Amino acid sequence: MAAQETSQSAIFRHAFGNVLSFTVLLLIGVMAFSIRLFSVIKYESVIHEFDPYFNYRVTQFLTKSGVYDFWNWFDDRTWYPLGRVIGGTVYPGLTLTAGTLWRILNSINIPLSVETVCVFTAPVFSAFASWATYLLTKEIKGAGAGLTAAALLAMVPSYISRSVAGSYDNEAVAIFALIFTFYLYIKTLNTGSLFYATLNAIAYFYMVCSWGGYTFIINLIPMHVLLCIVTGRYSPRLYIAYAPLVVLGTLLAALVPVVGFNAVMTSEHFASFLVFIIIHVVALVYYIKGILTPQMFKVAVTLVVSVGMVLCFAVLAVLIALVASSPTKGWSGRSLSLLDPTYASKYIPIIASVSEHQPPTWPSYFMDINVLAFLVPAGIIACFLPLSDASSFAVLYIVTSVYFSGVMVRLMLVLAPAACIMSGIALSEAFDVFTRSIKFHLVGTTQNPQENAGDATKVTQNDVKSEKSEDTVKERSSRKSKKKDKENIEKPSLVSRVEKRLLVLPLETSVMAVFLVVLLGAFYVVHCVWAAAEAYSAPSIVLTSRSHDGLHVFDDFREAYAWLSHNTEVDDKVASWWDYGYQTTAMANRTVIVDNNTWNNTHIATVGTALSSPEKAAWDIFNSLDVKYVLVVFGGLVGYPSDDINKFLWMVRIGGGVFPHIKEPDYLRDGQYRIDSQATPTMLNCLMYKLSYYRFVETDGRGYDKVRNTEIGKKHFKLNHFEEVFTTHHWMVRIYKLKSPRNRIRGKTKRSKSQKSGTSKRSTRKKNPWQ
Amino acid sequence: MAISPTTFAVAALLVISHLSLLTTPATSLSSDSLLTELSDLQSQSPTGVIRLSDSLLRRIVSLPTPRPFHALIFFDAHQLHSKPELSLPTLKSEFGLVSASFQSNNPNFKSKLFFFEIEFQESQSSFALFGVNSLPHIRLIPPTASDVKTESIQMDAADYSRLGDSMAEFIESRAKFTVGPINRPPVVSKKQIAFVIAVILIWSPFFLKKLIAGNTIFHDKNIWMAGSVFVYFFSVSGAMFNIIRKMPMFIADRQDPSKLVFFYQGSGMQLGAEGFSIGFLYTIVGLLLAFVTHVLVRVKNKNVQRVVMLFVLLVSFWAVKKVVFLDNWKTGYGIHGYMPTSWQ
Repeated sequence: MAAQETSQSAIFRHAFGNVLSFTVLLLIGVMAFSIRLFSVIKYESVIHEFDPYFNYRVTQFLTKSGVYDFWNWFDDRTWYPLGRVIGGTVYPGLTLTAGTLWRILNSINIPLSVETVCVFTAPVFSAFASWATYLLTKEIKGAGAGLTAAALLAMVPSYISRSVAGSYDNEAVAIFALIFTFYLYIKTLNTGSLFYATLNAIAYFYMVCSWGGYTFIINLIPMHVLLCIVTGRYSPRLYIAYAPLVVLGTLLAALVPVVGFNAVMTSEHFASFLVFIIIHVVALVYYIKGILTPQMFKVAVTLVVSVGMVLCFAVLAVLIALVASSPTKGWSGRSLSLLDPTYASKYIPIIASVSEHQPPTWPSYFMDINVLAFLVPAGIIACFLPLSDASSFAVLYIVTSVYFSGVMVRLMLVLAPAACIMSGIALSEAFDVFTRSIKFHLVGTTQNPQENAGDATKVTQNDVKSEKSEDTVKERSSRKSKKKDKENIEKPSLVSRVEKRLLVLPLETSVMAVFLVVLLGAFYVVHCVWAAAEAYSAPSIVLTSRSHDGLHVFDDFREAYAWLSHNTEVDDKVASWWDYGYQTTAMANRTVIVDNNTWNNTHIATVGTALSSPEKAAWDIFNSLDVKYVLVVFGGLVGYPSDDINKFLWMVRIGGGVFPHIKEPDYLRDGQYRIDSQATPTMLNCLMYKLSYYRFVETDGRGYDKVRNTEIGKKHFKLNHFEEVFTTHHWMVRIYKLKSPRNRIRGKTKRSKSQKSGTSKRSTRKKNPWQ
Repeated sequence: MAISPTTFAVAALLVISHLSLLTTPATSLSSDSLLTELSDLQSQSPTGVIRLSDSLLRRIVSLPTPRPFHALIFFDAHQLHSKPELSLPTLKSEFGLVSASFQSNNPNFKSKLFFFEIEFQESQSSFALFGVNSLPHIRLIPPTASDVKTESIQMDAADYSRLGDSMAEFIESRAKFTVGPINRPPVVSKKQIAFVIAVILIWSPFFLKKLIAGNTIFHDKNIWMAGSVFVYFFSVSGAMFNIIRKMPMFIADRQDPSKLVFFYQGSGMQLGAEGFSIGFLYTIVGLLLAFVTHVLVRVKNKNVQRVVMLFVLLVSFWAVKKVVFLDNWKTGYGIHGYMPTSWQ
């Protein structure tokens, strides 16, 4: 009777726990979604930054023209005169996801615009990602850790930075895909089910569709498999988890046009094939070990091992030859700079120039994962006690991702889920110990008769643990028989665990510890909300600044793009530094020379060279590219620091990398980059300087640059080959038109020249709000 | 019109050949003896670089032009070897490599191009002769140069920026000798490679046996644990930043050079010691927490537990507080919560 009652109460408890978990998960999803809405509330529902504009444009095309046209889309609005094959060079995951969402919503009569769907894709997927984190962590360390990790991930600043509403970029869906793929891998590893293995391959396919970061998966999982083999943890489950993933995953990955044969040809994927061979050799060894007697096995082992080694060496040699025969040793520059951190800064300025490829300093960690940085070591240690296949994967994940994040700050994004999982485990273990201690003391001292009830909870707790430790046993019988075993074991283990249960800490220190841990969590929440609201919600297309006389809104970018789309011919070409390429094509619908898809270094170097050349040479270059308008971003008037003058040294570097007559030292005075009267003549005469500071002295009379905090070096000068056609309200975007050659010749006669400059001045002066 | 340049060239040729006919008998003896002496010295030196003394140089210079060989001179000064920004030792060894490669690749032209080095302390007058007053300095004396100071060719900094390869290009462009591939000694010699491979081959069966039996250091999870925590510490301390940017551990204060600055204000940069100390703080809290939840619970003595836990809590609290404080100081962010206005 008593046994039945307890089992019934256990069922009730179980059900209650499930409902509670479900509710908590639902709330976590709501939180993950809503914390990312700050950008919409503070600004407006608008696409952010640079790359998202491209994705938005592609999505528009997809929804308008359908999937087939999307695959075949050749875009002639960019990389003029080369153009770009969009279908074959874009990771289609995000676009297809948002396009499908839009289609579904429309088919059930919810008429959302494509833009709205794009804006809210990232928050929706971060809710999915936190649920995936729950599943993954649950497989590693149980439901408690899972819920904690999911809650942490829902608001980790690093992830928020890439997934606020409006940040419509690949990472938004890719992080979900990453975590979900890992979950399915661990699930397969724990169950040995081929069903999950297949799902795993499909999830991997989705990841390949979404983001170039999929190479992290296809290297991490083989590493884990190799680690398991080396540490003697090989099991058939490992084989089932790995082999189908490689075969199916590679086949599926090759279906994505942008990956194609890279899936079998580049070195990033070779590790998986090597491990694929090794796991077969090992599987063979284990099989033979199973069917032979120990004596026979010893004889056989020498034979098999030697044959296997010869095979391995042969394949290894082929692989090395393949790798060595390709020019960059088969590795793409970005991956190489991960292995040899100094590689990119030495050889590829275009990679080194991107700010998110810089190595982070310690405040970046505090900003991006905040107090999780303190908790992760505890999580690592908890994963080793006891070590299971799943927890060893978690450890490997955190170690590799934390190393990579140390090399490139953008990979902090990959670290964030790992840090959340680890911290979730650490927090959950800490709460487990502390609350157990408190409960033990309270129940033990005041309520002796109810000790049974206390026992029951502890027994269930311990059962969870015993289940976990059983997981680690290598030879595991099927699930059903295991459940039976558990029921049998439960009774005797009750007795043995009563003594073990005394693993508690003193009451008052436990209370203090719980208080401090809660305080730590509260600080985390405050930090995350602050980061979401203040640091990561700026769309960077609209800027605001708060000063003593209220809020200022700088909407210059959209002003400029709107001007372009209304006042220029449809086929006019606009040259700017590559940062603004995507925005120009998406918002102004004009053809650009280079854009943020930096696939052609020479082309970018040409633009860089033009901007660092004197006016005449620059005009020649731009004219040869059919450019009609040149757009520069200038922050000197309002103090907007990420303007073209601050990026200018990279233009020089990239330009000089291809055209050696552009030399960086020419632009530096004693190694210092300056634009004041000490600047070099080359600097003061280059096009970028002239276009940025043309007529700047008219604003305040002395030409004081608020970003560089100095007066500019050359204040009064005229433009001979360019004419100013538009400058935005705050001077943040300035657009110049190339004078046509005929005009230039006529302009040499004095009369028409003075007339011309006079009229242009008067007409632009109207637009200048500062006079 | 068409004839005159040709005739002029022929005439010039005649004059030159006459001149050489006239001069050869007189100088051939001394130049021959010098050549054999130089070849001798060349074969004695392991890299084929000849140590030039004042007297030897004077004899070479005093040879009537055209001399039968080019001379490439490396100006060296021992006392400057310690200055890393000059990188004289590297250049010198590269110079030797180019020399050795040239001589092994072109055995026939061995006596057409000689490689020399001059030491500043031994032969200051030679330095003065060439007007060399800064190092590194490499100079090529063509056979026709009569005034070595003006007619010799100095190697630009760009010509040894890529070390041996660019030196070889310089020789090819100026002296019209092909150096050929530069034979660099491998980082590990062939014998060492063979030895290492042999050791690996012998050891691998034993290792595999152990691996199958399951007791290598890889099976000791404590090593893995320590390793992963270390990698974590290494990364969060921003050590990669320090390596890539070659940051020093600390710098001297600008206002007061006797003071040392360990913490740099501004989030874009960090100093070495700063990174490691914060990395330590990041790591220690987690380690202490793990210690409490996994080790301390097993201790039976209540008072020990109490004291240790108090200590752990204090240290953790201090560490977190310190990092928060330093982060606010360094980045200048004012992190604040959003409380309802009615609460204030």
